Amino acid sequence: MGLFQHFISEISSYFADGTFKLILKVALIIIVTIPVLLLLRGWARRFFTKKYAPHYGMLAGKLIFYSGLVILIITVMGQLGISLAPLLGAAGIVGIALGFASQTSVSNIISGLFLIAEQPFKVDDIITINNTTGVVLSIDILSVKLRTFDNQFVRIPNEMIIKTEVTNVTRFPIRRFNAQISVAYKEDIGRVRELLMDVAEKNQYSLSEPEPLIIFDAFGASSIDLLFLVWAPSKEYILLKNTIQEEVKAKFDEEGIEIPFPHVSLYSGSASKPIAVEMIGKDHKKAGDEEA
Amino acid sequence: MDNEIWGEILLKDGQTRYFTVGDLHLWLRFRDEEVWIAHGYKDELKGKIKAENPPPKVEWSRWADKSVSSDIRIQPIFPDLPLVVNSEYSLKISPNTQIRIFSRIPIWVRISLANNDYQLIEMPTVKLSRTWFGTPIEGELCYYATTKARRDLSKADKKSYVVTCPILVTNKSTEELNFERFCFRVERLSIYEQNGYFWADETRIIYHGADLNSDVIMTGNLPAGIEKKQLLTPPRKQIKKSLATRTFKRLFEDTQIFGR
Repeated sequence: MGLFQHFISEISSYFADGTFKLILKVALIIIVTIPVLLLLRGWARRFFTKKYAPHYGMLAGKLIFYSGLVILIITVMGQLGISLAPLLGAAGIVGIALGFASQTSVSNIISGLFLIAEQPFKVDDIITINNTTGVVLSIDILSVKLRTFDNQFVRIPNEMIIKTEVTNVTRFPIRRFNAQISVAYKEDIGRVRELLMDVAEKNQYSLSEPEPLIIFDAFGASSIDLLFLVWAPSKEYILLKNTIQEEVKAKFDEEGIEIPFPHVSLYSGSASKPIAVEMIGKDHKKAGDEEA
Repeated sequence: MDNEIWGEILLKDGQTRYFTVGDLHLWLRFRDEEVWIAHGYKDELKGKIKAENPPPKVEWSRWADKSVSSDIRIQPIFPDLPLVVNSEYSLKISPNTQIRIFSRIPIWVRISLANNDYQLIEMPTVKLSRTWFGTPIEGELCYYATTKARRDLSKADKKSYVVTCPILVTNKSTEELNFERFCFRVERLSIYEQNGYFWADETRIIYHGADLNSDVIMTGNLPAGIEKKQLLTPPRKQIKKSLATRTFKRLFEDTQIFGR
């Protein structure tokens, strides 16, 4: 009975000195603020995505959420009676130690800020970095996340992106496909040009303007090499690439235009004279005689 | 084959209706409470085309609607993108000159349910290639069309799959306007019907110079002999009656210079 009375008096003193009230207050602040922050983050994401671009939506959402989180932590600390001044002083000393230990992370954060300011790409753009091509999923403080076309997740540190050449494949609305076309030396290049222009005109993905261009590239070892340059909307680039080369092959087959493979012509002295063949040995046999 | 494609059509259960307009071949069917539509183009369809059934290469598309209606509406409509219209012969307009030309644009077909206007499909009567109007950095996707830019239509062949658009061009600049090609924003024009042929309301283009935007005004003026009650299809967009936009200028010089 004495133990129970002691427990009750302990609880009563808890209520009396306000500790329980304080815990309740802090818990209430956290329980109310976090859902509000999440709601605000969602609203900011939707609003900025709709009004500007997904990239801005993501940034605005993060900015609101993390700013709110910092304010929440400061408020909670204030409620608990923890002064910020000694913490900030300690943070200075810890900061120096951490700074040495986390140079890479800091470099990534600063690179991230440059990336956000410079905007070489946005969320949903298709970019190529080194040999990796993918859709930008997010641009974060430390890294950029990509989804490659074979559905892999790639995380690239911001520092690396700042130092490396980045190709934004979808930055501009139209894109040119450069096809290398080789035809035999015997072919009439004027006729080949006409056929290629006809293929470009009939292809459903190619644009009439900028006009397709055919460039006489080189006298190759086995063929005349042409460059066939055709434009398409960036989103349909792969469809153009896939269809137009098939159509060129079909057109050349239909019109009897030869697409040569590498070959070597051997001459002995003069192209006009046949190669002399000398038979060696008295009892030479025709090929296949022994097997028969 | 049915001759009269435009208007409301009641499809009988199991029966196929076949229409042809321009290069388009169209089959319609009502079956199992669904509307079935198949279409193909002249250059794609080889051999004899039967009215009862499309060739095996042409696939049917099906629509099911809660209204279970076999009453459909077929309307002519302007293409879904602006057109870059090329004049067959270059036309030069001297400063402070105003001319009226007629440009004929191939129409599209819109099929919708008659009772609730639910749109099923849209398709061109003639396949047009696409083109880019603007610079490689910014611009807009358009269809590519050729026009004779006629001043007089009396000698022109009558075609049931084109809409004749009167265009009033005013050159208010001090330089010569080369009316070789222009971007024709048809989405704000209506289609009127007279004796089986289609007309659009007038567009006025005011050219202020190569480096300035041109004013494009949908005046709403109808060609002679056409009345408002002959309206067949309202415009796709009913936003503005006028806009200041790039109409004549294109910048593709660098695509030629930097061939590689």
